[in-house]
Amino acid sequence: MTDGANILEVKGLNKYFGPTHANVDIDFTIKRGEIKGLIGENGSGKSTLISQIAGIYRYDSGSMTLNGEPYAPHSPKDANREKIAMVMQELGVVGTLPAGVNVFLGRTQQFTKAGFVNLKEVYAAAEKIFTQWDLPMPPLHQLAEGMMVETRKMIELARALSIDPDLLLLDEITQSLSMNNRDRLYGLIGKLKGMGRSVLVITHDVDELIEITDTITVLRDGAVVGEADSRRTTADEIKRMMVGRSMSGEYYREDQAPDYREKVMLTVRDMAVPGEIEDVSFELHEGEILGFCGLSDSGIHSVGKAVYGLSRLSSGSVRMEYADKDVKTAEQALATGAAYVPKDRDSEALMIHASVLDNICLPSVEELEGKVMYLAPGKLRALTNEMVEKFSVRTTGVHQTMDALSGGNKQKINLGRWLAKDLKLLILDCPTRGVDVGVKAYIYSLMKEAKKNGIATLLISDELTEVLGMADRLMVMKDGRITKVIRRDENFTEQSVIGAMI
Amino acid sequence: MLVVAVIVCIFLAFHLISGGTFLQMDNLAIVISHTVYPTFMAWGLCFLFACGYTDMSIGGVVVLGSFATGVLGNMYGYPGAVLGGLAVGLILVFINFLIFAFSGIPSWIAGISLAMIYEAIAVAVKLNPTLKPLIETDMNQNIRLFGSFPWSLILLFIGLFIVYLIYNRTTIGLNIRAIGGNQQVSKALGISLIRTLLFVGLITGILIGVAAFIQESYAGQTTVKTGLTSMYMIFQPLAIVLLAQILQRWINIIIAVPICAFIIYSVFTLLTTMGVPSGTLQEASLCVFLIVFGIIGRFGYKGVVK
Amino acid sequence: MRKRVFIRWQDIVPFIAFAAIFIFFSVTSGGKMLSAFNLKMLLDQSMVVVLMGCGMLFVVAQGSIDLSVGVNLALSGVFGVWFGFATGVIWLMIPAALVCGLAVGLLNGFLVSKLKVPSFMLTIAMLIGVRGIVNYIQQYIGTQMLPTSLAFLNQPPVKIPLFIVIVVIMVYLFEFTKIGRYSRAIGENETAAEYVGIPVSKIKIIAFALSGLMAGVGAFFAVIGVGGTSQTMGVFMEMKVAMAVFLGGVLVTGGASAKIYKVLLGSFSITIIVNGLALIGHPESQISESVEGILLLLILLATIFATRRDRQSGRMLPEGKNSGSLEFAEQKNRKADGKSV
Repeated sequence: MTDGANILEVKGLNKYFGPTHANVDIDFTIKRGEIKGLIGENGSGKSTLISQIAGIYRYDSGSMTLNGEPYAPHSPKDANREKIAMVMQELGVVGTLPAGVNVFLGRTQQFTKAGFVNLKEVYAAAEKIFTQWDLPMPPLHQLAEGMMVETRKMIELARALSIDPDLLLLDEITQSLSMNNRDRLYGLIGKLKGMGRSVLVITHDVDELIEITDTITVLRDGAVVGEADSRRTTADEIKRMMVGRSMSGEYYREDQAPDYREKVMLTVRDMAVPGEIEDVSFELHEGEILGFCGLSDSGIHSVGKAVYGLSRLSSGSVRMEYADKDVKTAEQALATGAAYVPKDRDSEALMIHASVLDNICLPSVEELEGKVMYLAPGKLRALTNEMVEKFSVRTTGVHQTMDALSGGNKQKINLGRWLAKDLKLLILDCPTRGVDVGVKAYIYSLMKEAKKNGIATLLISDELTEVLGMADRLMVMKDGRITKVIRRDENFTEQSVIGAMI
Repeated sequence: MLVVAVIVCIFLAFHLISGGTFLQMDNLAIVISHTVYPTFMAWGLCFLFACGYTDMSIGGVVVLGSFATGVLGNMYGYPGAVLGGLAVGLILVFINFLIFAFSGIPSWIAGISLAMIYEAIAVAVKLNPTLKPLIETDMNQNIRLFGSFPWSLILLFIGLFIVYLIYNRTTIGLNIRAIGGNQQVSKALGISLIRTLLFVGLITGILIGVAAFIQESYAGQTTVKTGLTSMYMIFQPLAIVLLAQILQRWINIIIAVPICAFIIYSVFTLLTTMGVPSGTLQEASLCVFLIVFGIIGRFGYKGVVK
Repeated sequence: MRKRVFIRWQDIVPFIAFAAIFIFFSVTSGGKMLSAFNLKMLLDQSMVVVLMGCGMLFVVAQGSIDLSVGVNLALSGVFGVWFGFATGVIWLMIPAALVCGLAVGLLNGFLVSKLKVPSFMLTIAMLIGVRGIVNYIQQYIGTQMLPTSLAFLNQPPVKIPLFIVIVVIMVYLFEFTKIGRYSRAIGENETAAEYVGIPVSKIKIIAFALSGLMAGVGAFFAVIGVGGTSQTMGVFMEMKVAMAVFLGGVLVTGGASAKIYKVLLGSFSITIIVNGLALIGHPESQISESVEGILLLLILLATIFATRRDRQSGRMLPEGKNSGSLEFAEQKNRKADGKSV
């Protein structure tokens, strides 16, 4: 059990999903006490690989050895038994059970006496784990339902740690964590390393990955394309490996001053949503990109929803000046020429089992309507074809269903269907969340084009660099209130923003 | 505390409305013995709902279970009656769960199909010349003890104790609720979906079997129901569970169920004493009840409702 | 490139089911089913189912269900005819029945969309409650007979064109207007529909209203077909209509799987089953009931497997979520249907 020995070796691993070859001949090792990063574009097979290690999927061919022994987990429980734990990408707690029970869910047998579970012991054990690993303690007796995303993630993390793992797998968990909890997580990873344990981290954030890991493995199209030593590599080198060509480093705006017209497009006054936001007032101008940033529970996402009429305001007003109209519902907002791209693409924006045509035409139905409410099939098809071509969406036809498209293409449709319209106001909530570098750059170019056309954009984002890179003005939020407004030509740096966020 | 006070007030109000007859001992005894079998059905529904299923065929199962209770009870006494009801409940509900778990058909619609099949079997039994006299004979009076007060109440308390422990204090109970809360996560945590669902089938089956046994003991004979009228049998338990779900905020749902059963049956007894005809306006008021509970249960609910 | 046709199993299953049922009963009934008399009867019987199925389709497309259409038909019929007699102008039974059906539909729509009562639970409650009311009314007014002056309405030259016109209107509304398009969107992903700015509540109310209105239309056809009203009117009808929609291959979750041709196919299928069982000599209701139950299960199974197949092939898997996505969708359904009661 010395440091430096391989804890896990993966050799010639292949995984197929139907016709898709998701993992191609993967060779991959993790050493004891090593913090390993795994990175790649969407669809490159990272999550598939990690899921096989965690026992969620079984591999089709190849082999894995754990501590020199053959390792072929049939279920996550098998993996747990071998002291491998995973925190999954999607939300993974059971809302109908208390937080404390969630930590030991599936393993309550160990607290069972004469057939009955001793809940007191369960809670005590859960409490111990949160204290031991310095995680923020949630109310353990309360149902997990209704807890914040971040708290739920912490419960998941506690669950993974409760098996005292030799190898911890973290799949994209930092994106839902606030700054201070990220720091806690980094501390925890360091602590594990100190104990001679190994961690495998997946994240889209290249800089973060370089910062926290020892080595990085890069995947492309399901295969390993490179390995790098975190201390020696650069973000550009990793990105180049990911996309297979060199990326121009700068895809944000290059100008250093705000650049928008005088005309006010949107006025928000004293907007309040109970329990979410308070006293939010701002103006948005023609051709302006107004950034909103803050911790995940600061209310930035609520601002987007509220402006688009999706929340009931307890006070205040939202006025679309370009249409001279107060907006109270999403229906009214849509009619004025506003657009809202929500954060969660698959569950809040797209109909994934419906066709490309159905998805693209959805926001434009009112415009496409002819006499006697007639929606001519030809018109719908024409619009769809135009959009598919304009945004070079890779599809086999307008009637193909969305679930057959890759993440990047879905996001192009998600955004493109709005840009097809005569748009005045665009509300974007984390538009580049979970898309790869190539699509990201493309989305920024679309935003720049929209800006040029005079569209007013509200850009809400968890990623500070993104808002700093794109916005004319920046609103920093904390606890549901705007704490600071910074112009692009003022003190437009991460430090000044973070100061106001925390 | 508040809830208890409210419930006491409700009963006092009933007492006044009924002109002082409601809280008399024999009236209470009637109401209580009436509530026992729907309570067991309602507990069964609690487990079903906990894992996200609905089973519309339970009424049909109770009818067949009651047949078995009556016929086997008359042949072999108590052992026959108990085992007959339990066996039928267990087997049929278990079959239902096999179908729900493996077919992927939404449970409520599969349940409707199964209800049709069970109703048809009941009719076939009734039309069979050898079986007809058997099911049309009243259940022997001396083995019907558990249908009447106070034995039914004792059964109710025993049931309450056991069901409460299973739901709240066993691994299988926790797993059932986990699966209902988030199937994917539960699966990833090594909770076997199929195994748990089959356990739910088992537990629900036993509860439904007990309900059938009590029903037959209480009524002595069961009529055949056709044209999906057996589905009506779950509406009262359904109303009970819906009300219990509202009270869940204050009282554990398993304990809330018999309380709600008692309230709802009191209301119906009251309606009858007030001269509201059953078969017509009582049904209408049950409908209003269900809808009102449905509305209250959804107050402040923000998610998608289908 | 855009000419490429996507053939989906889920779109073919209803045809196969229909053909199988048709052939099965044609053969087992020894040709009796195909006699001119019987074909006319089949058409008569399926008309009401088709009409109400077209209405219910809007609701099912949204992923909801309306099980109150059978009792709504009874209430609308009984009320309409009573109103006609009461006012002395028997013609008024038509608007009265339509208004009554529409009113019940609007009430359903309001309760589902504004007060968030799950549609399955609500309409099942209505099924009991409204039946109670119908029985109550019937107790007082007894069986009503239509005057012979209205018998001409039941003649094919009058009835069939009327039927066709109504169905064409429904096809138009469902396939070529935003009402249908939005309904399917709500079934596919209600949150997405809401976030785009579609008036979800309004569309839900419209769908239930249409379902109710078509129950009123169905009441009219049923009344003139039978020549009066009775206590047993519309019994089991909601199940027949729901079965027609699902037999046709519309998924219970609605969405893009909802197509009006499926309702037509399903309606004929279910009518043939009921009719065919009677023809081949099993008059006892219990046989046909159990056969219907089993058939419903089998065809639902076939539809679900077909859908699963469609989704498995032709899918480029988003990493890590692959096998999960369909099961997850199903789990959501289950959750929804559990909560709905």
